[in-house]
Amino acid sequence: MASAPSKLYADDVSLLMVLLDTNPFFWSSSSLPFSVFLSHVLTFLNSILLLNQLNQVVVIATGYNSCSYIYDSSTSTNQGSDNGRMPARCVNLLQKLEEFVIEDEQLIKEGLREGIASSLLSGSLSMALCYIQRVFRSGPLHPQPRILCLQGSSDGPEQYVAIMNAIFSAQRSVVPIDSCYMGSSNSAFLQQASYITGGVYLKPQQPNGLFQYLSTVFATDLHSRAFLQLPKSLGVDFRASCFCHKKTIDMGYICSVCLSIFCKHHKKCSTCGSVFGQAQSDVNSTSNKKRKTPET
Amino acid sequence: MPQVRIIAKNFMDMVAALPAMKLDKLYENAFICEAILRSLPPLAKKYVLQMLCIEVPVTAKSMEEWVLPDGVSKHRVAIDRLIQLRIFTETVDRKRETTYTLNPIFQTNLKKLLLYGVVLPREPMPSNVTVRLPSSEDLEAFALGQWECFLLQLINSSQIERPSNISSSMMKIFQRGLLSQRDKEAPRLTESGFQFLLMDTNAQLWYIIREYISNSEERGVDSADLISFLLELSFHVTGEAYNINTLTEVQKNTIKDLADLGLVKLQQGRKDSWFIPTRLATNLSVSLTDSSSRKQGFVVVETNFRLYAYSTSKLHCEILRLFSRVEYQLPNLIVGAITKESLYSAFENGITADQIISFLQQNAHPRVAERVPSVPENVTDQIRLWETDLNRVEMTPAYHYDGFPSRDLFEGASDFARGYNALLWEDPEDSKKMSLVVKAENHVHMREYLSRQRQ
Repeated sequence: MASAPSKLYADDVSLLMVLLDTNPFFWSSSSLPFSVFLSHVLTFLNSILLLNQLNQVVVIATGYNSCSYIYDSSTSTNQGSDNGRMPARCVNLLQKLEEFVIEDEQLIKEGLREGIASSLLSGSLSMALCYIQRVFRSGPLHPQPRILCLQGSSDGPEQYVAIMNAIFSAQRSVVPIDSCYMGSSNSAFLQQASYITGGVYLKPQQPNGLFQYLSTVFATDLHSRAFLQLPKSLGVDFRASCFCHKKTIDMGYICSVCLSIFCKHHKKCSTCGSVFGQAQSDVNSTSNKKRKTPET
Repeated sequence: MPQVRIIAKNFMDMVAALPAMKLDKLYENAFICEAILRSLPPLAKKYVLQMLCIEVPVTAKSMEEWVLPDGVSKHRVAIDRLIQLRIFTETVDRKRETTYTLNPIFQTNLKKLLLYGVVLPREPMPSNVTVRLPSSEDLEAFALGQWECFLLQLINSSQIERPSNISSSMMKIFQRGLLSQRDKEAPRLTESGFQFLLMDTNAQLWYIIREYISNSEERGVDSADLISFLLELSFHVTGEAYNINTLTEVQKNTIKDLADLGLVKLQQGRKDSWFIPTRLATNLSVSLTDSSSRKQGFVVVETNFRLYAYSTSKLHCEILRLFSRVEYQLPNLIVGAITKESLYSAFENGITADQIISFLQQNAHPRVAERVPSVPENVTDQIRLWETDLNRVEMTPAYHYDGFPSRDLFEGASDFARGYNALLWEDPEDSKKMSLVVKAENHVHMREYLSRQRQ
């Protein structure tokens, strides 16, 4: 179908940025095969485009080492190579996805990181936000944007700062981040992202019925959300990662100038360079333990 | 608000009013399912989507649980619409619990659309057969030109250059309600006719198409077939050529009419002939909630009530003439002034101040459209003031009673009338003349009362 004839602004015209986790380390161990997951997602994308002819969907693949735009409904036409049963839309997307996964794999071979095999969520979030900014600036009439993270792999604490920055800039431009987390335990990053931006965080209890979750919860346009009760998460894991060792911590030291977080006492803030006074730690005065003041 | 507008806005009402059997038949066509889905209110769309994979009836209670207190009325509207269009079937079981099921034909068709993506209704013709296809600008110009020509003919303007091929009987049908003709007088635009001219193109198009469809039975065409063809047409790609031989006989006749309206352009090749849908056709399925497709504006209104319209269109000139005094016309510019006299004649014709203002705002020239407000405030205020000037006197049909034989009877009658809240005026107490004025609608009661009193 041809792209939007002219830019309109109706109640329910939406721009959906889908961040698709393609991390091989997660999907190889997941109970839901990637192919099944993908077929659910493709059907979901089709349904979003079906709801309104002006709806727009952009898919960004989040890999282990890289991320990339793999589909944009406003630029790709639905015609062309129509081989057999598969519609051209899916063919284009799958082709791009395959290319992306191969490239990403080559990057893995070059340098395998240690620790948790997390995906580059910060990168794809930033890409989505950049795209949305471009849409915002393209004129007064634009669809209402929202971001949907389809994430499976666990959080990478080393991306903490970048992800939080992305979340806050999404909050500033009033873009909700919805997250559908496919992994086993909850993702603190995505919980915070959805909580701060007013999106929905959901961890499907039955991954086999993913389409039903997607169509019931995540297909709801921003206009309708004012009238509906969408699932709320029971608790949000607000723990932060320290800036020095990228560990998730419950309690730590905070620079009173720039609010950087550290897991242990430093002489000087590595972010803003403020010099801290001597910590009266491990001795008796417990009241001063958490309150660090820079040297005046 | 004007009647025409309401009718034109609710094309889907017309679909909903079709008999159940025809409606079910319509849903056999996947394109109609898609078009109808898109025309639904946002909440209704969501309900359809979430019911898509559910084969068993869903209780109304479980759906209401999702609705926030603020959204109850929206929820009701959405559900009513779905039931009206027979997309949902409502059943009340023995335990008095209401459940909904999705129309099975609709459901299967939508599922197919989701799984296999949208398939075009027919393949476009290969480009080696169709040489010299018009560029998109040419096509746009053709569509607008054709539409304008049609509108001019519709309002019986004397400025038509080339009459379109629409038969005069068909034209009469379209003009019904928009023009009124007294004997031997030139036809005049009616109130709704004026309002029609001030609507945006999409709304006008729907109005005409609606008339066209409702008249189809007289021409021996099934209205359901026609609706399905029109909706199908809207899913073709603008600017691509489609072989005319893929159409049925009835559709071929229809497409000729549509070409006159500017919805499609017909072209003749060496062997085949084909039709090219224009933007007007593909916009048909745009849900009517957002039908206000933005056009380039052309009107600049200044604070001194002068009006500059950068347009070569005769239609625009005619429209401006409805409520302003056109002073002179240059090749690409119409200069006029909004005066009290010109506005009074507009109000007399049933145009409201709000319509004029919204027309001026919607068609504001890009240079002034960015400004807030795009039409100077003193002008809009003055237009509204002049309108309220006309409404200072309220007319109520009434009867005047006098010559009462006694004061008692007079007072009794005036109390009686007061009881109906129908007494408009009575002589002051001290006056010798006994007369009162009562609303005409209560005249019967008054007469009964008076004759009873006389006995």
